Amino acid sequence: MSAAAIEVGDLAKVFGGLAAVDGVSLVVPAGERRVLIGPNGAGKTTLFHCITGTLKPSRGSVRLFGRDVTRDPEQRRTALGMGRTFQITNVFPDLTLAENLALAIVGTDRRKWVMHRPADAFTEVRRQALEALEMVGLEGRADLPVKLVSYGERRQLELALALNTRPKVLFLDEPCAGLSPSERQRISRMIAALPRDITLVMIEHDMDVALGLADRVTVLHQGRVILEGAPEEVRANAEVRDVYFGHG
Amino acid sequence: MSGARLVFALFALGAALALPTAGGPFWTGLVTQMLIFGLLALSVDLLLGHAGLFSLTHASFFAVSAYTVAILQVRYAVPTALAAPAGIFAGTLLGLVFGLAVRTRGVYFILITIAFGYVVWGVAHRWSSFTGGDNGVTNVPFPSVGGVGITSHTQYYYLVLLVVIVCGLGYRILIRSPFGLGLRGIKASETRMRSLGFRTGLHLYAAFVLSAALASLAGVLYVYYNRFVNPVASAFPISVEAALMAIVGGSGTIIGPFLGAGVVLGLRNWVSSFIEMHHAIMGVVFIATVLWAPDGLVGLAGRLRSRLSKPAERKP
Repeated sequence: MSAAAIEVGDLAKVFGGLAAVDGVSLVVPAGERRVLIGPNGAGKTTLFHCITGTLKPSRGSVRLFGRDVTRDPEQRRTALGMGRTFQITNVFPDLTLAENLALAIVGTDRRKWVMHRPADAFTEVRRQALEALEMVGLEGRADLPVKLVSYGERRQLELALALNTRPKVLFLDEPCAGLSPSERQRISRMIAALPRDITLVMIEHDMDVALGLADRVTVLHQGRVILEGAPEEVRANAEVRDVYFGHG
Repeated sequence: MSGARLVFALFALGAALALPTAGGPFWTGLVTQMLIFGLLALSVDLLLGHAGLFSLTHASFFAVSAYTVAILQVRYAVPTALAAPAGIFAGTLLGLVFGLAVRTRGVYFILITIAFGYVVWGVAHRWSSFTGGDNGVTNVPFPSVGGVGITSHTQYYYLVLLVVIVCGLGYRILIRSPFGLGLRGIKASETRMRSLGFRTGLHLYAAFVLSAALASLAGVLYVYYNRFVNPVASAFPISVEAALMAIVGGSGTIIGPFLGAGVVLGLRNWVSSFIEMHHAIMGVVFIATVLWAPDGLVGLAGRLRSRLSKPAERKP
């Protein structure tokens, strides 16, 4: 049996005296769609940051397909096959959508160092960028600066950026945050339509979206894993109802 | 390039070529300086306008390069063909060291570059046995390569014009390249760039060294124009003025730093002949820029143009 896509061992992140993540162990097999849920402050985003390398964990380890990446910088993990989106939209507002995509496309190869040739002379990058925009429903928007498109469209771009680093494991941090119900559906359909060979780890507050997409669900509470199981088990679990949906 | 821009570029080139005949030595000299300091401002703006790093040490590369050329030419009679590349090499070498400042960001980057700048100034000022102290190095000849030499300031103006045009075209390719696009990405969001696979520290370091090389080239042009170099060239105010030129003219553009250089030098050389305290006027110009034209002269021109043109003619 091959190594899991992601294996997190006893990971903790302490801010001052507060353990935002307090000894989380997590195994996500290749090809699985895992959703992390938990109330605000449960440590979901901090856990994401530690896995993808945005933050250094206080202790513990992260393995990507068996390879220890705990000490690798973020861009190295991206090159090795981790892709991520941000909970707070993190795109390049002054650049056009096509230029945003071009950065994602050349970021993981040597073309990012080319200095003697204009970026728009790379016709294959342009073609790939247009395809990527079409895939997330942003065709016809390619040459607009991002600051002129709607918030919902930026969330779509956010997803397209992560997909175009050619990830083997994709981390989605609340991809639907701040969207209207119809936009939520649109994004979750896009996520559902992703190829199954991309392992998916996703933070989601919307239980319907989460439980609809997930193969398995991990519930975090106060920096710890309190439950892991199939979506229907999690929905039925009384403890989860207490911490997540509140008493009553 | 659109038709209007091509016409403008040809017109500007024609005016530049006709300047020595039409304008006389005063204007030719002023425009030569504008081109040289504009090139320095352009080098600063590669970091400021594209990568979002505010360097206040670019006078260091400018001066180290100028001193290298001057000392080699004057004391060791090294020909221009070797001395000029040596100047660029020395400045770039210093850029490789000072480039380590990209390990810091924001105000720490600014502070560390100021400190670097003072080190160079201190050496130029105090190590008088080597640098000539306050007097600097004088009697630098005009450049000459293989028996063909510059013999007048007019000829030198044309040489500077040629170098600046070549640099401008090269710079245009650089900022439009994937590397240049990467710099703008880092300026907007370094965290996102890392998650896209960019080695942002190395990217900024490479930009810093390139920028230092360009500032060194400006230093070479400067020393052959000025015919001497003293510690003033390495001093903090030159670094500040170079950044000011980029901001006043229009940061993030190519023409902007040259326009800004024109404004700053024009005020100094021309206004100071009949108004005292040109520094105070410079301060007012800078404050006015920040308040009413944060994109500099280029941004101001763009806004005026879009206000004048009918909405229907505007680009979508």
